[in-house]
Amino acid sequence: MRRLLPYLTRHWLPFWGGISGLLLARLFEAFIPLLLKDGIDSIAAGSPALALPVLGIAACAVARFLTIVVSRRRIRYLGIHVAYDLRRRLYDHLQRQGPGFFTRHATGDLMARAINDIQLVRQLVGQGTRTVMVLGFSALVGLAFMFQLSPSLTLLLLPPLPLIGFSAYLLARRIYAQSVAVQEGFSELSERTQENLNGIRTVQAQGQEAQEVLRFARVNDGYADRYLELMRTNALLSSLMPALGALCTLAVLGFGASRVLSGELSVGTFTAFFWYIGMVLWPVREAGNMVNLFQRGAAAATRLFEVLDTEPEIADQPLPGAPEKLGGAIQVEGLTYRYPGAERDALHAVAFSVEPGETLALVGPVGSGKSTLLRLLVRLLEPPPGAVRLDGYDIRELPLDLVRRNVAAVPQDPFLFAESLRENVAYEDPRRDERQVWRAVDDADLRGSVESFPDRLETVVGERGVTLSGGQKQRATLARGLIRGAPVLLLDDCLSSVDTETEKHILDRLRELRGKATTVIVSHRVSTVRRADQILVLQHGRVTESGSHAELMAKNGFYAALERAQRRRGHLLHELEAASIEGHA
Amino acid sequence: MSAPPATGAPTTDAPRDHSVFDSDLAGKSLDLRLLLRLLRWAGPHLRPALGSAVAVLAASVLAVLGPVVISRVVIDGILYPTPGAAAPLFGMDRVAAALGSATGLGPLASACLLYATLVVGWSGLMYVHRLLLAAAVLRSLRDLRADLFAHLEHRPSSFWDRVAVGRVMTRVTNDIEVLFQLLSGLGVLLGEFVPFFVALGIMLAISPTLTATLLLALPVAALATWLFRRATRYVYRAIRNSVSALNQNLQENLTGIQVVQLHRRERRNLERYSEINQDNRKHETHAVRLETLYGPFLDTLVSGALGAVLWFGGRATLEGAITLGSVVLFAQYLDMLFRPIVVLGEQYNVLYRAMASGERIFQALDWDEAVREPEHPAALPERLAGRVEFRDLHFGYAPGQEVLHGVSFGIGPGERLAIVGPTGSGKTTLIRLLGRFYDFAPGQIFLDGIDLSQVRSTDVRKRVGVVLQDFHIFSGSVADNISLGDPGISRERIEEAGALVHADPFIRALPQGYDTLLSERGQNLSHGQRQLLAFARVLAADPEILILDEATASIDTRTELLIQDALHRVTEGRTSIIIAHRLQTIRECDRIVVLQDGEVRESGTHDELLARGGLYHTLHELQFEDAVA
Ligand SMILES: Nc1ncnc2c1ncn2[C@@H]1O[C@H](COP(=O)(O)OP(=O)(O)OP(=O)(O)O)[C@@H](O)[C@H]1O
Ligand SMILES: Nc1ncnc2c1ncn2[C@@H]1O[C@H](COP(=O)(O)OP(=O)(O)OP(=O)(O)O)[C@@H](O)[C@H]1O
Ligand SMILES: [Mg+2]
Repeated sequence: MRRLLPYLTRHWLPFWGGISGLLLARLFEAFIPLLLKDGIDSIAAGSPALALPVLGIAACAVARFLTIVVSRRRIRYLGIHVAYDLRRRLYDHLQRQGPGFFTRHATGDLMARAINDIQLVRQLVGQGTRTVMVLGFSALVGLAFMFQLSPSLTLLLLPPLPLIGFSAYLLARRIYAQSVAVQEGFSELSERTQENLNGIRTVQAQGQEAQEVLRFARVNDGYADRYLELMRTNALLSSLMPALGALCTLAVLGFGASRVLSGELSVGTFTAFFWYIGMVLWPVREAGNMVNLFQRGAAAATRLFEVLDTEPEIADQPLPGAPEKLGGAIQVEGLTYRYPGAERDALHAVAFSVEPGETLALVGPVGSGKSTLLRLLVRLLEPPPGAVRLDGYDIRELPLDLVRRNVAAVPQDPFLFAESLRENVAYEDPRRDERQVWRAVDDADLRGSVESFPDRLETVVGERGVTLSGGQKQRATLARGLIRGAPVLLLDDCLSSVDTETEKHILDRLRELRGKATTVIVSHRVSTVRRADQILVLQHGRVTESGSHAELMAKNGFYAALERAQRRRGHLLHELEAASIEGHA
Repeated sequence: MSAPPATGAPTTDAPRDHSVFDSDLAGKSLDLRLLLRLLRWAGPHLRPALGSAVAVLAASVLAVLGPVVISRVVIDGILYPTPGAAAPLFGMDRVAAALGSATGLGPLASACLLYATLVVGWSGLMYVHRLLLAAAVLRSLRDLRADLFAHLEHRPSSFWDRVAVGRVMTRVTNDIEVLFQLLSGLGVLLGEFVPFFVALGIMLAISPTLTATLLLALPVAALATWLFRRATRYVYRAIRNSVSALNQNLQENLTGIQVVQLHRRERRNLERYSEINQDNRKHETHAVRLETLYGPFLDTLVSGALGAVLWFGGRATLEGAITLGSVVLFAQYLDMLFRPIVVLGEQYNVLYRAMASGERIFQALDWDEAVREPEHPAALPERLAGRVEFRDLHFGYAPGQEVLHGVSFGIGPGERLAIVGPTGSGKTTLIRLLGRFYDFAPGQIFLDGIDLSQVRSTDVRKRVGVVLQDFHIFSGSVADNISLGDPGISRERIEEAGALVHADPFIRALPQGYDTLLSERGQNLSHGQRQLLAFARVLAADPEILILDEATASIDTRTELLIQDALHRVTEGRTSIIIAHRLQTIRECDRIVVLQDGEVRESGTHDELLARGGLYHTLHELQFEDAVA
């Protein structure tokens, strides 16, 4: 919460100006019952001198109107500004986070912070700060005016106030706890819905709809129950408070009236007290709610700054002297990487080097660390210092933008945005022209498919590309990588859903295209990797074999066994088994 | 369960415009039909709703009588008796007197007692009112939400292909929340309007002229409210639109964050987001400008009315037309007179939002797109033999764009059939039809001789297990991902399935084994590991016909061979269909069908196809080209 102070100090003039305006408005307001008293008293005295009080009331009302309009605006603008600024900062900050962060925070969670928490902070700044001061002041002014009218009656009104304030506070605390529970229930509900609808095809394929409806009903019921609890306390609060407030009214009614009878008090004062009670009780009642608003706002601010304070896993702190463009040499040495919280290294002491224009292929079992290695080469993950060098520079010392501009990676998961094919292919730079897009489409051997769609390049693919076939999706993501013509190209098993013939076209085309550029390609198929200049076999995060196809065949190890298993129809599992290394080596 | 379709919602096979799901509904002027439709869900909770209405009526009367005790009984009766002015007392004097004689208290004390009783009664009744209202509203909306979810759960793939999940999701979550605000807001309005009329009646009874004078202020307030509403309506809509654009932009960016970063789109995306953000700030500021005028203006109006009461009331008192207490009473009632307008002004925004939300909810509920279920469903045999037949199957996702052009072939019981063919040739489509995910004309697919279009889709899917090409991993534990939360699948079955696909070693190496929590979409596993889980999930359900659509595309050869071995044992005698690009995946299949451009080009055993020298032969050569060299 203290973190919000910079906003208030930076804009201290509108803030304090606004607050003082509002306080002034309270003073105007407090004069109204006083004038009412004068009016009533003169009626009671039978004198027709009403013009002064009536005009006074009108004047106070207008003065209050003007001050409130001007000052309330100042403060609410401030709230809007804070929300605007936080939103922008959050967006910017989220875009810098690495995969580790997104493993910890689900999209729904981050969305909730961006939507609800910012809203709460805005309320806190735009209304909370204002109301607290105004409320306190209002109570003081009310008491002061009453005291001036009748000290003894005012003193009589004091005892119920702590009682009212305390019970309001207790109930407000319960409401706070319950609304947190409701909030959590709502997140749970959203998460359930989102997870379910995202996986709806899987759910339906497994015939689990009824099961899922039941599961949703449980969450939904729980949410409604919690909400009802909250509403129950709310109902109690809003019914109990006026009842307790009536204690003050009763005191005025009983003692005030008897004093009027004894002549110590005028009827006008008696009447004005009912208005002043309102001025004093309002803040006492609201105190609990204010505490809530502050607690919720504080909790929201904490959650927001928790995200905003997360240092990006990838620190972009380039050393001076970085080149304009990379040539494409990659040196990896002693590269060990372990995901946070994992029990084993995903990569262990990996070393290799690739010259510009060479092709490096990675093969290895599921989960052996191939994708991890590629992620380290684009610095989606942070390698240890000196372990990954591009053109001789430690990747950590190069500007992140330079790395990402020169290394084009095609990830394993073919993700497409729900936009047109053109926008997807030209994602990196939307200004690319039609010709370039078509060339990339050609390079990825996607032209046939695109031409078969009625809208061709303007075909809008479904969310995540659901309306494309598996191979079309993969080739569209490939085209998105190829269009960039970067000096280093990383292909993570991105031809797995493509038939052999198409794959061969693509590979031939790649070789032609990328004569001078470096390519790292991951595949499970020997036919894909056999022409690479260098092949690395990864098993459990270690490089167990490396060399060209011919060299590896001659070695007669894992790769050779793999090649035979893929080539022959015979059963060669035992050979592969023998050549594999065991897990916890 | 689905209500009669609203006008405009397409019914059966007409091409549908799914883009309506993306457009922002306007929330037309107050549409009472929405409330009427909500009655369907309120029906079962009508009793608490009525109780709450009765309670608020009674409470309003008590609330209005309180000031009468103060002004008329105490001021006029005790403090400042005005002989001769026989203004109505609404029986309060007599009740107070009765209380006095019953308790032996003096007139002042009994008036206090009466006031206390009124307050207690009023707060008690209001408590009951709020409680019953909340219960009725919350429960009806809970039921509505459950029905909406169940409805969506059964929408077919053709629906999900075309809509944005996020947009549909907010209907289940936020839109229903807005309806909650609407319905409880209506309760609040009721609680404000009833006292308004009761107080008005009392005021008219006391002094029609003074009341009429005060009523002159109401049109001003109403005009202000109307102007405010008119001015804010567009602003509020603009705010809502910009907020939902902000959210959607952020959500899309977060889901594709890796692509964003790999392609350095951060700056461009931030610029785009900032534009919407600025837009939002502009509208918010505008709204604040209007709001800060409206609220204080009404307050000023109330104070002005107070002055008027004092002026005209005072003169009337001096003339002896009304009593001093009546003047005070009028002043006390001012709040009750203006409250409904203030509340209405506050609720208008909610009301319009709720109209839009209601429209969205019912649009989804009325969306009756569904897989066509047979009227007289045919039952599948107790135990399937497993004969599948495609007979001149034609199909397209969109009219006029046929993907399958007359596919015919059969699969014998217990046979292992492979389907190969270039990408985009329609293999997955064929499988989706076999699982009844999309509609097709009758008489084209047969399962054990039964026309598949005459079998309920759920019955089909129970018997036919498909390892989907684009599977989904849920956040949750590994075990839950295999069983999908089905209580009928025991822990042993889960682990057995894990072992069968050879996922067991890696799962056990995870920090909590089968109970390890996976993050969204299983991002903390490797791609192949995720695919193994999706595979295990289907085996755990133990289907009678097994279909693998590129189920091992991201799996290494050794694991794949291990799986094949294991599968060979457990699926012996079961019909299975395997789609693969890697020919080694299908080496154990009995027969191979080659699909190209939505037509069957070749079919036969491996040797037959090789001998024929067609497409299969080419694919085979390509894959093993250097083997000969
Ligand atoms: N949901 C869909 N809506 C519209 N068109 C679709 C949809 N799914 C697939 N298509 C189109 O139908 C054609 C056949 O796709 P299908 O997925 O059946 O191919 P496939 O043979 O499985 O290809 P792959 O080997 O690449 O997975 C493709 O042109 C594809 O774009
Ligand atoms: N975000 C993550 N957090 C924790 N562990 C991870 C994460 N991503 C991957 N792993 C683990 O690291 C290991 C290596 O994963 P990686 O994705 O590099 O494998 P891979 O060789 O690409 O496998 P595949 O062939 O299946 O794509 C696996 O055991 C995986 O479970
Ligand atoms: Mg991988």
